[in-house]
Amino acid sequence: MATTTATITLSSTDLLSDELSLATTCTLTGADNSTGVIGTSGLARKTTANTTEYTLFAAADYTDDKAHKVYLKNTSTTATEYFEIQVAGTVVGRIWAGDWAFIPWSADSTGTNCDIDITPQAANMTLEYMLFED
Amino acid sequence: MATTTAAVTLTSDLLSDNMSVSASTTCMKAGTTADGLDQMEYGYVDLATGDEYDLIAATPTATKASKLYLKNHSTDETYYIRVMLHAQEIGRLYGGDWMFIPADFHDADADIMITAIGGTNKICYALFHEGITKDASA
Repeated sequence: MATTTATITLSSTDLLSDELSLATTCTLTGADNSTGVIGTSGLARKTTANTTEYTLFAAADYTDDKAHKVYLKNTSTTATEYFEIQVAGTVVGRIWAGDWAFIPWSADSTGTNCDIDITPQAANMTLEYMLFED
Repeated sequence: MATTTAAVTLTSDLLSDNMSVSASTTCMKAGTTADGLDQMEYGYVDLATGDEYDLIAATPTATKASKLYLKNHSTDETYYIRVMLHAQEIGRLYGGDWMFIPADFHDADADIMITAIGGTNKICYALFHEGITKDASA
C-alpha cells in the first residue's frame, strides 16, 4: 500500500501573548478505511492566459463521496494577485500570492456537480496543484 | 504586524519517484505583503452524530484573506465530518484528516458548517482573519 502523508505547521510568535506552534500529520486514506489513497495527478502547473474561469478538476471524472484531497498554490509574488476558488459554483475563497490550500473534496456529481473551478485575478498567473484520489 | 506562518509538506510513494512537496506562506491581509493577519479564533468541539454545527459563530469580513484550519481528531476511520459552505458540501474530513482553506464569507449565508457522521467527532479549528462582526447579544 502506498503511503501518502500531509503535514501542516502553523506558527506565530507574536499573534498571541503565548507562542502559537501547531503541527500535525495525517496519512491520506480512503473513505471509511485505512487503505492509502490510490492515485495522484502528480504535481502540476497551469499558467492562465486570461481571467476566464477554468475547471481544474471535473467531479464527473472521479468517484463520488470519497476522501479526495486537493493541494493548490498561487506562485505569484505580486501581492494583489489571487485565484478565486469555487467548488460546485460556491466561492470557497481566494488564494493570494504565495498562499497555498489543502482542501477535502467529495467530488459529488449526483446532486450538484462539484467541479473545482479557479478564476485568476489577472492574466498570466501560475497555479501549482495536485490531486490525491481515493 | 503579526507574523503567522503556515507550512505544508506532502510526501508520497504513489509514484515511481518518491515525492516530497513543501510550501510555506506568511498569512497576510488581502492584497498586501506589509501587514499580516492579526486576529484568530481557536476552538475544540465534540460533535455528536447528525449534529450540524455552524463552525464560526461570528461573521468575518467578506472577501478577505481569512484562512481556516480544521482537523478531525477522531481515531475511528469510519467517522467523518461533512464540511459545508453555503449549504453545499465541499468535502469530507475523516478521522485524522486536516484541511487548510481560504475562507471567503462572501455573504451572510456563506457560513461554514460541519456535520458529524458515524459517531461523536472531535474537531479542532482555527480561523485566522482580519476582522469579524460579532453577533448582537439577545
